[in-house]
Amino acid sequence: MNPRARRILFSLAVLVWSGVMLYFHASGRINRYLAPDFRPLVLMGGLGLAVLGLFNLLTAGQSAACDHDHGPDGVSHDHESSDLHPLLAFALMVVPVLCATAWTRDEFSAASLARKGLYDSPGDLQTSLIVNIPPLTRELIAQRYPATPDGYHPLSLIELFFATGDREMQGVLEGLKVETEGRWMEERANNPNGTRKRLYRLFLTCCIADSRAIPIVLEYGKQPPEYPENDWVKVAGTMKFQMEDGALQAVLHVDRTLAADPPYEETFLRKNHMLPR
Amino acid sequence: MSADARQDFALAFLSILFEGAPFILLGTLISGFLDIYLPPGAMDRLLPKNRTLAVVVAGLLGAVFPVCECAVVPVIRRLVGKGLPVSCALTYMLAAPIVNPITALSTWKAFQGQLPAVMTGSRLLLGFLIAVSVGLITARLSKKTILKPSLAASLDAAESPPPSSAKCGDHDHTDDCCGHDHGHEHQHDCGCHDHGCGCHSHEGGDGRLTAAFRSALKDFVDVGVYFSIGVAITALFNTGIAPGAKWLDSVAANPTAAPAALMALAFILSLCSTSDAFIAATLAKFSWAAKLAFLTFGPMMDVKLIFLYQSVLNKRFIVTLGVGLFLAIGGLSLLWQYLVVSHFLP
Repeated sequence: MNPRARRILFSLAVLVWSGVMLYFHASGRINRYLAPDFRPLVLMGGLGLAVLGLFNLLTAGQSAACDHDHGPDGVSHDHESSDLHPLLAFALMVVPVLCATAWTRDEFSAASLARKGLYDSPGDLQTSLIVNIPPLTRELIAQRYPATPDGYHPLSLIELFFATGDREMQGVLEGLKVETEGRWMEERANNPNGTRKRLYRLFLTCCIADSRAIPIVLEYGKQPPEYPENDWVKVAGTMKFQMEDGALQAVLHVDRTLAADPPYEETFLRKNHMLPR
Repeated sequence: MSADARQDFALAFLSILFEGAPFILLGTLISGFLDIYLPPGAMDRLLPKNRTLAVVVAGLLGAVFPVCECAVVPVIRRLVGKGLPVSCALTYMLAAPIVNPITALSTWKAFQGQLPAVMTGSRLLLGFLIAVSVGLITARLSKKTILKPSLAASLDAAESPPPSSAKCGDHDHTDDCCGHDHGHEHQHDCGCHDHGCGCHSHEGGDGRLTAAFRSALKDFVDVGVYFSIGVAITALFNTGIAPGAKWLDSVAANPTAAPAALMALAFILSLCSTSDAFIAATLAKFSWAAKLAFLTFGPMMDVKLIFLYQSVLNKRFIVTLGVGLFLAIGGLSLLWQYLVVSHFLP
């Protein structure tokens, strides 16, 4: 392949990456993929790739000299030669990105969530995350999270989950009427009568690939309402901590369930909850 | 692949790609501009005369001239041709992809919430120590043991004293016209003579800018291809789609096998040092030692580097280097986990 065609091909590959990055950033979909401090980098990276691709595309036919010596035998002379055929390199860069863009639904399936700890024992998950949850008392809850008109304190799901590893928090939350939100999922274990569901949110460190599911169990005591998997719901009920299969589980005995809009930040962020030690 | 599996793969693939691509761009822009604008003698002048000290300083040159492992091979090839001691060139080649600000920044960012300071500092330190050790060992070896035969022969020929009145056309190469060695290894495209420091440029600054952008484009595509493949494989394991995902999980639980497995993975994936930390950070089931081994071994030895190294080094030396790096990095990573990480984690 002649150098001009190779430059055009490579420029187009770079422009495809640039276009995909800028599209995800501009559409706001990037929020579901990366933690906030990485999102501006995607914008800058996308713009930088656009400059690199366009510059090379527009100057593809020009001659350019580097003005320096190129080694003992001249073989390493060319600054543009590659060990891969240009068409293969183009395909390897462009096809996976375009396929992934077409396939993604911006969320994991139940099977993948199971790998990310959705059904793991809370104790196993807590040892893999270094999390700092500020201590809570009933007075602080009343002050910071005033009850709704029907008497439920709006608490974050992460506080309910991590209370399983903190006896003081358990004492504070046990029997408390709370309201929380998260994504709806089937319950697999300890659900012989089909009265349970699972509520989860993802805990993000850098990108969604390294996220972990933070779940609690929802107990209805009767047939639960029907919602599609991964839909956002707001649930209210009484908090209990129960030993099940040798592990302490956070179980919300649900009084009411409502469909909800996703929050602006759908995932819990390391920045707010995790302290390096 | 089922629709759910496709969806999972796509989500994991794009998130890792978005995270790493800006760092690859930064790295390739810098290496592209260094490739074109850095005078060939610049590094030689920074090195002390003492051989041991020169190797140590060569291990730190990546902080000043940051290049990834793909870009460093052509650079050291040129430097060896210009008379840089082979031990210093090898040290720089192994250390520069790790001991440089871009790799440090990307490792720090990727490991946020996962001991970022410990991981970044340990990666840089281990990379530096290994590279300097290799440099000090190779300083005792002959060129023929290390370099590929044609390169060693051309260096031997260059070391024989030139005729006192060597001339190239009407241009005297023994003159020090601009303070740089113009060398005699020219055979340039234009067919005239070596351009050394750039004082004989045939084109103005625009030509060099275009050449720098072209070099950056080529580097980005070279790295982007391997990164794309690496991210795809990682996404398959991350979401449990790959057939060996369960086996890999079981290996992850074995403290001794885990570093070996991740070094093998680093060898196969051939990731760029500017972005490999984003892959390592997602391997949640592996030990800290395994992640450190992955981050140190990968930039020094992988499938793509095997091909690149053959343009400079002889095959037997590459095999010896690979085995030595595997054992040394694996052993030191396990020791590091035992001595260091236990102080930071309960």
